[in-house]
Amino acid sequence: MQQPSAAGGRAWGLHLAVLAIVVIAQAIGIIILPIGAAKVILLPMLYAFALAIVVNPNILRGTARIFTPRVQKLSGAMITIAITPFVAKFGTTVGPEIKEILAVGPALVLQELGHLGSILLAFPIAVYLLGMGRESIGAVYSIDREPNLALIAEKFGLNSPEGAGVMGVYATGTLIGTFIFAIVPPLINAMGIFDPRALAMACGVGSGSMLAACTGGLISAMPGHKDDIMALAGASNILTYATGLYFSLFVALPFTQWLYRRARPDDIQTAG
Amino acid sequence: MENLSAKTDDLILEMPEAGEGETGLIETGGLLLVAWVIGLISVWVGVGTSPLVALPGMIVFFLCSVAGLLLARFVPVSIPAVGWVSLIAILITVPGVPGADWVVEVCKKVDFLSLATPALAYGGLALTGTEFAIARRSGWKIVVVAICVMLGTYVGSVIIANLTIGLG
Repeated sequence: MQQPSAAGGRAWGLHLAVLAIVVIAQAIGIIILPIGAAKVILLPMLYAFALAIVVNPNILRGTARIFTPRVQKLSGAMITIAITPFVAKFGTTVGPEIKEILAVGPALVLQELGHLGSILLAFPIAVYLLGMGRESIGAVYSIDREPNLALIAEKFGLNSPEGAGVMGVYATGTLIGTFIFAIVPPLINAMGIFDPRALAMACGVGSGSMLAACTGGLISAMPGHKDDIMALAGASNILTYATGLYFSLFVALPFTQWLYRRARPDDIQTAG
Repeated sequence: MENLSAKTDDLILEMPEAGEGETGLIETGGLLLVAWVIGLISVWVGVGTSPLVALPGMIVFFLCSVAGLLLARFVPVSIPAVGWVSLIAILITVPGVPGADWVVEVCKKVDFLSLATPALAYGGLALTGTEFAIARRSGWKIVVVAICVMLGTYVGSVIIANLTIGLG
């Protein structure tokens, strides 16, 4: 294995670029746009992600000299490292609220079943409305983050139709997931029919950045609920880490395959 | 089932995001320190918390991160580093644990959203041509489906949580 530090000065270019992006994004701060009774909430992490995409060498060709493939790989490794202080901060909000969390324990566990909501909403749209084939199995069976991607890769291979579906939703989720999870929950909250604790628990269904965006949006909309929003969202996300893969493997994927066989009995390839 | 297991032969599992475990221990520590300093500055610029005020809490987060990264490397259980980090952070703040009150007090002074910003910046810079190509090749249909997947999962969880929150 080559020493990543062989990228030398370029690695510092990466960290300095990130620092500059972070300073700009943080200086702009949270922007709240009232739309009627609802609020659209724009978070600094969204500007940081958008700015970074703009200077990404695949978008702005001129930066390819600084962000070489090796530096980009380092940047990928930095995501997991840079997120750990945030995860630690999140954990320290869960501990003090442990009693309140245990009090809503059944709801916290049962809302993991909400992952089936993806299938209920997206399967009919993919199969009946958009006429998609077996790629819809990989696309809709889960929220398609890393563990779910690995599961499809192992069962079907990523160059199968199912693999194309999971990769498509994975890539789209990576590109726009943070935006969706920052903007949608406050809008649902504005409907005024759901308990803030339920909105918070559901923040844990996806990746770390979806969690951050979702809690950030909700807290900006309901500052008074800050402590319980963070604690419940954090607890739910940990639960998703623990149970998500098993739920996908034993419930969600077989259920999606069963639905697909019903919908397209002629497509015998899905006999699994 | 046969044709499925045959398909695993052409398995190409190159995860788009590189995880920990690729870099050496000291190097990972150095990278964590870089990210930590950027985090400290992010908190300062974002919400005006002076680094001196944020420092005790930030040191707690740093120690949790180091412990989590070490445990993920050396404990032969497949829990990712972030799982260990949250576990440790929860344990040291449960009421009754020695020092928990002090830890909670100093950690409260650090804004959480500001700590997510650096990771998203690295994320945006890490996106490869492959990821853009997949999103483009999959076309508008997959974008529609992806939005439905995210909405369906979130709203599904909200509805079940809302119905069952009175239980227990």
